[in-house]
Parts: sequence; structure tokens; C-alpha cells
Amino acid sequence: MKRVLDARMTRRELLRNSAMFGAATFAVTTLSACGLGKKSSESNKIVIGAFQDNALAPLRDTFFKRFTDETGIKVQYNETNYDSWYQNAKNDGLNKTGAYDIYIMDDNWVPEFAAAGILIDLEAAGLKPNPDLLENGLNQGYWPPKVGPRLKDVANDEPKLYALPIDDDVQMLYYNSDQFSSAPTTWDEIFAAMKDKADPPNMYGWTIRGVKGNPIVQTYLPVLNSYGGAFANDDWTPGFDGAEGVAALERIFSFIPYMPRGIVEFDTDQEIQVLLQGQSLALTEYTGLTQRIDDPESSTVVGKIDCAATPAEEKSGPAIGIFNAGIPPSAPNTDGAIQFLDWFTSDDVQLDFAKTGSAAVTRKALTDPSAISEARWLPAMADAVDNSTPKPRTPDEPKMEDILGTELNKALVDAIAANGKYGGIAQKHLSAAADQMTSYLQQQGGYY
Amino acid sequence: MAGEAISVQGRARVAERAIAAGSPYLLIAPALLFMAAVSVYPLFYGVRASLAEYKYGRELGFQGLDNYRRVLADDVFWQAMYVTLRFVLIAVTLETILGVALAVLLSRDLRFAGLIRTGLIIPMTVAPVVVGIVWRLIYASDVGIVNPLFRVAGLTPPDVLSHGTSAFLGLVAVDVWEWTPLIMLIVLAGLHGLPREPIEGARVDGASELRVFFDHTLPLVRPVLLVAIILRTIDAIGTFDQVFVLTKGGPGTSTQLIAIYGYNTAFRFSQYGQASAMMLLVLVGMSVLLVAAIRTIRGAAKKATGAA
Amino acid sequence: MRSRTRTVSMYGAIVLAVVIALFPIWWMIVTSFKQPVDIYSGVSLVPQHFTMDNYAELFRDRHFGSYLGNSLVVVALSVGISLAVGTLGAYALTRSTIGERIRRLSLVGALVVRMVPPILLAIPLYIVLGKLGLLDTKLGLIFVYAGLNVSLVVWMMESYLGEIPPEIEEAALVDGDTPLSALRRIVLPLAAPGMVATAIFSVIVTYNEFLLALSFTSTPNSQTITVGVSTLIGKIQIEWGPMAAAGVIGAVPIIVFALLVQRHFVRGLTLGAIK
Repeated sequence: MKRVLDARMTRRELLRNSAMFGAATFAVTTLSACGLGKKSSESNKIVIGAFQDNALAPLRDTFFKRFTDETGIKVQYNETNYDSWYQNAKNDGLNKTGAYDIYIMDDNWVPEFAAAGILIDLEAAGLKPNPDLLENGLNQGYWPPKVGPRLKDVANDEPKLYALPIDDDVQMLYYNSDQFSSAPTTWDEIFAAMKDKADPPNMYGWTIRGVKGNPIVQTYLPVLNSYGGAFANDDWTPGFDGAEGVAALERIFSFIPYMPRGIVEFDTDQEIQVLLQGQSLALTEYTGLTQRIDDPESSTVVGKIDCAATPAEEKSGPAIGIFNAGIPPSAPNTDGAIQFLDWFTSDDVQLDFAKTGSAAVTRKALTDPSAISEARWLPAMADAVDNSTPKPRTPDEPKMEDILGTELNKALVDAIAANGKYGGIAQKHLSAAADQMTSYLQQQGGYY
Repeated sequence: MAGEAISVQGRARVAERAIAAGSPYLLIAPALLFMAAVSVYPLFYGVRASLAEYKYGRELGFQGLDNYRRVLADDVFWQAMYVTLRFVLIAVTLETILGVALAVLLSRDLRFAGLIRTGLIIPMTVAPVVVGIVWRLIYASDVGIVNPLFRVAGLTPPDVLSHGTSAFLGLVAVDVWEWTPLIMLIVLAGLHGLPREPIEGARVDGASELRVFFDHTLPLVRPVLLVAIILRTIDAIGTFDQVFVLTKGGPGTSTQLIAIYGYNTAFRFSQYGQASAMMLLVLVGMSVLLVAAIRTIRGAAKKATGAA
Repeated sequence: MRSRTRTVSMYGAIVLAVVIALFPIWWMIVTSFKQPVDIYSGVSLVPQHFTMDNYAELFRDRHFGSYLGNSLVVVALSVGISLAVGTLGAYALTRSTIGERIRRLSLVGALVVRMVPPILLAIPLYIVLGKLGLLDTKLGLIFVYAGLNVSLVVWMMESYLGEIPPEIEEAALVDGDTPLSALRRIVLPLAAPGMVATAIFSVIVTYNEFLLALSFTSTPNSQTITVGVSTLIGKIQIEWGPMAAAGVIGAVPIIVFALLVQRHFVRGLTLGAIK
């Protein structure tokens, strides 16, 4: 710094310096253009992107290494938070950046990504899906969807497979077996237990994810489905603003006195924390939680949390939110990516995946006695996948979910403030969500 | 090697002559080019995008003013504008009052004045994203510190982020925490440049501190303060990072500032056209402020230069 | 008596202000050294069982080494480029030979660029970078930040250079210097403190920028520290310990830097409205 301040240069120095400065600028720019602008492209490597989730921990810790050992293909794994990764993956695909070979996706991204042309047809690229894959999991990878309503544009198109399930993430009931003599099967049973045993703040009856958007929608869906409602009907009209939807939301409201105070800001980690500290009876959650229920570092109730089907009113209706993997057209190493998907969904690898307690995607793996002896919840998982209700498949799903998730969150805030007198709150917000959703879909076109 | 050096020198001399001949236009050109690249072109593109139709992230073609119509008919947009307006008004007012008060306090001959000032300006140096994390750790209903504090005081824990009003006020508090030091620092600098005589004189005449402040100090720092307020207002309108980390706009839409809604519209719902229209409307709304800013800052700068 | 009460309450207010300013950051630092169990087990102003695990995890599993490195490269190059380009431009603006119209245009333009909310630029710049193939590259970020910083440099350096009496420079010209050598030999040394202050301010602003970096990058090869920090705020998972540690890593370098150079702050903050 001092030199800069004191320097008085001669003309010659000036020229030399300017020449050097010019050369340096040139060098930096050139280097930048070559080095910084370019992405490393090793031929024997695949780059996989994903969001953070407990369910993906076994892949990160074990299976990528094993794949490299067996095939010589290196795996670079980039994990970020859910929202960022959703945008990153979409951006990478839309702009053909080519930074990734495999996107690990939430299943509701598939319609948008497939419709936007940023995923390749896996079967056309030579992949033959393992016939033992659970059907409800595999179906999430098709566009247009094999089941459920379709957008008009694609009403008559042949479904193609754009993504392969790698973790059949589905909701289950997790309950503290100290508090229940057998797995509760209905909401009435849960509620009765709550009234009987809950004693906030020492022991809560239930916890939920209350954060606006996706989290609270995930809280609502298994209740909604079990009451006979739906996220959307087969004609794309909202399926939650009728009597079933209102009853379902009021069921959640009835739990409020038995839940922790901060549920509006609770997401997965906070809601499961209460259960794992032995301070709650039960909750519904995705399968990632199985990775933590027997981990003494996270849980004070090791061995006491059991899993069962999500409670029923008319029926059990867990939401399915499987993780699946797709390949963008811009992937630098498509062959390596296909090879990985093929390898990971093979019978042997899936059996070992199930043995880690994970939501394996093949039936043999989930029903294998040796796997069940290591992870008691596997049968409940297979069951939940078979009973699961997928959300309607449309690229507009993120906006639809945001609309419903914002109104549900508002309703929860109102219901907490209402102190037990929540009559009308559910209907008001569900109708508001239904109106917004309908007018949004009308504006988007292609639905009705 | 030597020959190369000479030729480089020779070339440099030629370049220098060219620059001398064409300068200063040649000198300003690269700077203008850079600035245009990140402003003129994006804005032009933004205008174009706002007139185009997008579906699922793909541009389908020109569609006129539909995006603007949709934005103007969108309740959530107006809700976000309202939240933003309220947020900016309350936060900037509080920051101004507290910032001026702190500056006046610190302008006294205090012990450890330097140390105190250093401590006070730390919040504004922290990256806004990190500020979001800092306050999440404070507000969280389970691991945070606000709820235990209220419990100790015998009050009902507020669960700051669980209610619309408290979450909004919580966000205002974060902004005030982060940016009051900015106003303080600027006003403090203004106070240092002031002539002391009128103020000392008034004190000697027995005027109360408040009188001295309103009659003498405030008028003198007013130009500086105005600059600070305008800059802060403009930045507050674009607040994004802290909300992104803290509440994502919730609960409900109670903290959904316009920048958050614009971001979601563009990057989560892939409605680039509507998002562009929305942001251009905001910019038009802000243009009054921008003009005021340019006038005041240039005025203050000229005055300062003249005085120097 | 009265003046003593006043002094006490004055110091009381200041102590309170300092505590409010610093406590939240202290709380984050404390949390970053706690184990998960302790984080959930009630308020403690010091770590019950001190651990570095949260930090170790960030560098081992979460690319924080890359994030820091990327920030360093991006900040250094973008500030360097903008300082060179912007100072030359500002110098031109202080020369009487330049047209008043272009002068005013440049200055107003510079101010507008500085003040437009980044969210407005994010979408179009995103599309532009996409077309240039510069998404998810450090070069793309350097380009954008350099552009934004140039505006700041032009504006600030114009005000610094404007303070240098033209007579000094004219004398040099009479002595046979070319304008450029006069700039190098006479003007720049005098303006060096201004350049330092401007650079400092640009460094802080650039290092702390989040929205544009978030929008334009997607892998740890190019993501900066603020984006890295945001990866800890999971939708599906919140791990308070590592999140706090990430916050500390994101904040501390720039706090230290800012405190070392705080006397240069004010002028940058007010865009030169205050000397």
C-alpha cells in the first residue's frame, strides 16, 4: 500500500508498468476465460446434484464410493438446500449449462422438468428399468402421467420414463411404542391417546410441519387423503375445499392444544426433535426419519419408535414424495449416468440399500427377511408406497402447492389465535386457496 | 527478450498517443461499457421479457401488456407491495431516530468512544444472509432465546416467527439492528464536520439539550441525514436476503416483501414475464426516490467539496 | 447531581446499545461450538461441551473450502478490474475537455446502477449469462460484480479526483507530460487514499452479495460463501449447529476486514456525499 501511495514514477517506469498492466490484464482475462469459465470435464466421472435429506445419507456415505470401486467412474456429489437445488437444477437444464449428469429430484419436479425438455427419455437412452420396481414409485417418473388427470396438450401422448426412483420416500406414522400398546390405525385413536396422555410441555400429543408452502401441505395431505379429499380432482378442480377437506383441516386444528407452541415455524427437524426427545406420542413423516430413530446421537428413545401406516379416517392416505433421478440432455457423461441408475436400482444394490433401513425401490429388497431383521420398518414402507396417493402431475404444481401452503399456514395461525373457537377458519382459507388455484390454472390454460 | 520489451514499449507509446488524442472519451468508454452491460441491457431485456409470454420457463413470444394486467390484478402482488411499504416506513423511521440518537450520544467526549463505535458498527458489516441466520437462532421457538427471556420475565413466550404480526415486527427489528449503525455512522461523520460555536453558545445560554438539538444540531446535519435516509429507503425496498433465510415470506404472506415475491414468481414459478413486469413497476414507483437521491447526493457532495 | 444521573443514563443507554448490537452475534458463535443435544437443552451463554465438529463438517462434507476460495477469487478479480476501469473513467470525467452531457450521463448512470435493487437485474442478467455460457462460472460472477462495482468506483473516484486542483495536473502537462502520464505520475498518487477507500467498500459489498450469486451459480465450483451459508438453511432439515458455524465463517472474515479499515467507511456508504 505504502509503495502505491509514495510512488512517483518516471516516464520509463510508467511505460513499463502500463505494459505490464496490459499484459497482466490480458493474461488474467485469457486465463479466466479458459480456466474459470470452463467446467472440468473428466471423462470417467459423473456429477450428481441433490438436496439435503436424511434419506440420501446412505448414498453419500456408502453407495457412491461403492459405485466408483465397482465401475471406476468417479462421483462428484453436490448437495444443497431444497429450494436452491430445485432452482439450480432447473437453471442448469434450461440453459444447458452441463454442470450435472444426474439430477436427484423430488417427484413433483418431474412434470415441469420433462415438459420443459430438460430431462432425457431414459428408455430411449438404453435404460431398462428393473421389473421389480414398486409401481407407485416408478409411475412418478413418467410424463405424461400413467395415472390421474392430464394436461390437454399431452392428453394423447405416450408416457415416457424421464426419471427413475432411487428412494421411495413416503409418509408413515411414527409412534412411541411406550405410549401405545399397538400401532394406532385411526385419527380417532390418536386423538383419544392425546387427550389421555399428553401433558404439554412435558409430553405433547402430536407435532407437525407448519411452515408455509410445501411443509404444511405435507402435513395436510395424509389427513386430507384419508378423509376422502384430494389435492386436485380428476377434472383439475380443487379437491380440498369441500366438507372432507374442511373436516381434515379441523382435525389438525383439534390437535393444537396438544402440540408445541411454535408449530407454525416448525419444519421437519423441529417436529421430529420433539418425538426423538421422547416428548411426543406420534407424528407423520417421510422415511428419512428412519435414519435417525435408532441413532443415539439424535434420539433419547432409541428402539422405541415404531412405524405404521398413516392413520385412517376412511382409509390410510400417505403422500408419496419419492426421490428420483433424471438425466439432462446437456449431461457431459450420459453413459456414466445411465450406468449409475442401472447399477443403483439393481437387485443386489437395492437389497443392501434396504439393509441400511432406507426406502429401497424394489419389492424384493423391502420384503427380504435379512433386510427386515436389520430394519423393522421395511414392511410398513412397502405398504405405505402401495397405499400412497400421488399429487396430480402438472408443471404448475409448485405454484399450486405454494397457494395451498400459504393459505394452510394462514389458517393455522388463525386457528392458534382463535384459542379453540376455530369454526369457519378452515373453510375460509381452503375456499380462498381453491379460488386462487382455479384462477391460476385458468390463466395458465390447458386444464379445463 | 530485449527486443520484445522494446516492441511492447513501442506499442505502449502508440497506444498512449491514441489515448491522448481520443481521451477522455476513450478513457470513459470501458467504464460505460461495463455499466451498460449490467444496467442498460438487462433493463432493456426486462422490458422485452415483460411483454412476452412464458410457459414453464420457455419464451413463447410477444403478447403485449398481458403480464402487466395480470400483475395489477394479482392480490398477492398488492399485498407484497403493502407489506414492503409498511416495512420500509417503520424500519427506516426507527433507524433514523435511533441512529441520530446514538450519533448524538457518541459525539460527546466519551471514554472508549472509538471502541464503542467499533462495537456498534459490527452488525452492518455482517452479510445480510448471515444476519438472517443470526436472528433465526434468536427467534426460533425451540432453540432460540426470545422465548426463554419472556418466560424468565413471567410473560407468555411470543413465538416470534409463528404469528403474522410478530414475524413482521421481528423482521423490522432485524433491519433496525442491522442498519441503525449506518445512519449513526453517517450522522456522526456529519456532526464531526460541524462548527461547534453555535451549539456551545446555545448551551452556555442555558438552552436545554433537546432545544439545542432541534434548533442547532439537526438543521446542520439535515443534508447529510437526508442522504442517509434516501439511500437506506432505496436499499430497504430491495430487502431480500434476510427474509429468504428467516421466514421465506411467512407466516402466510405477512413478511412477503416484493423482492421475495418477485424472486418466487421468476425462479420458482418460472413466470419470467410477470416477474419482469412486476419489477419494472416497482422501479417506476421508485424512480421518484431515485431522482430525489441523485439530487440530494449530488447537492450534498458539491456542498461538501465547496466547503473542503 | 442532575448531571451525574444524566451521565449514568447516557452510559447506560450506550452499554445497552452495544449489548444489543453484539449479543446476537455472540449467540451465533456460542451455538456454533455446541453439540446438538446442548443446543436443544436450554439457554446457555457458553458451550456446555465445546466442539469443533460443526466446523469440521462444513469443510469436510459441505465444500466450505471451495466457497471461501471462490469468494476470494471473485472479490479480488472483480474489484481489481472495476478499480482499473472505473478510475480511468472517473479521471476522464474530471477533465474539462469532456462534454458535459456525457459527463452527466455517466454520473447519473453510475448512481442508478448502484441503486437499482439487485432482484431487478437478476432475471435479465441470468438470461444474458445463460446465452454467453457463463452461468455457474466464476467468470460470470466476476463480470457482473465488476460491472456493478465500476459504477461505484466511477462515482466515488470522480468525487476524489475532483478534489485535486487542476493546476497541479496542468503544470505537469506544461512540463511535457502526456495526459496519461500526468495521471500516473501526479494524479493517481494523490488519489490513492480514495482508491483504497473505494476498494474496501467494494470488497465488503461484493463479499456480502447473495441474491445474484444464488441465481447465477449452481455448484460448489463457482458458488460463493454467502450461497454456501444459505445451503445450510434446508427446507427439509435445519441443523442449528452447522448453520451457526456457517454463519460465523460467512461473517468473521469481513467483520475483521471492516473493522481494520473502518475509518474509510463513511464516504463509501454515502456515495461520497460526506467526506
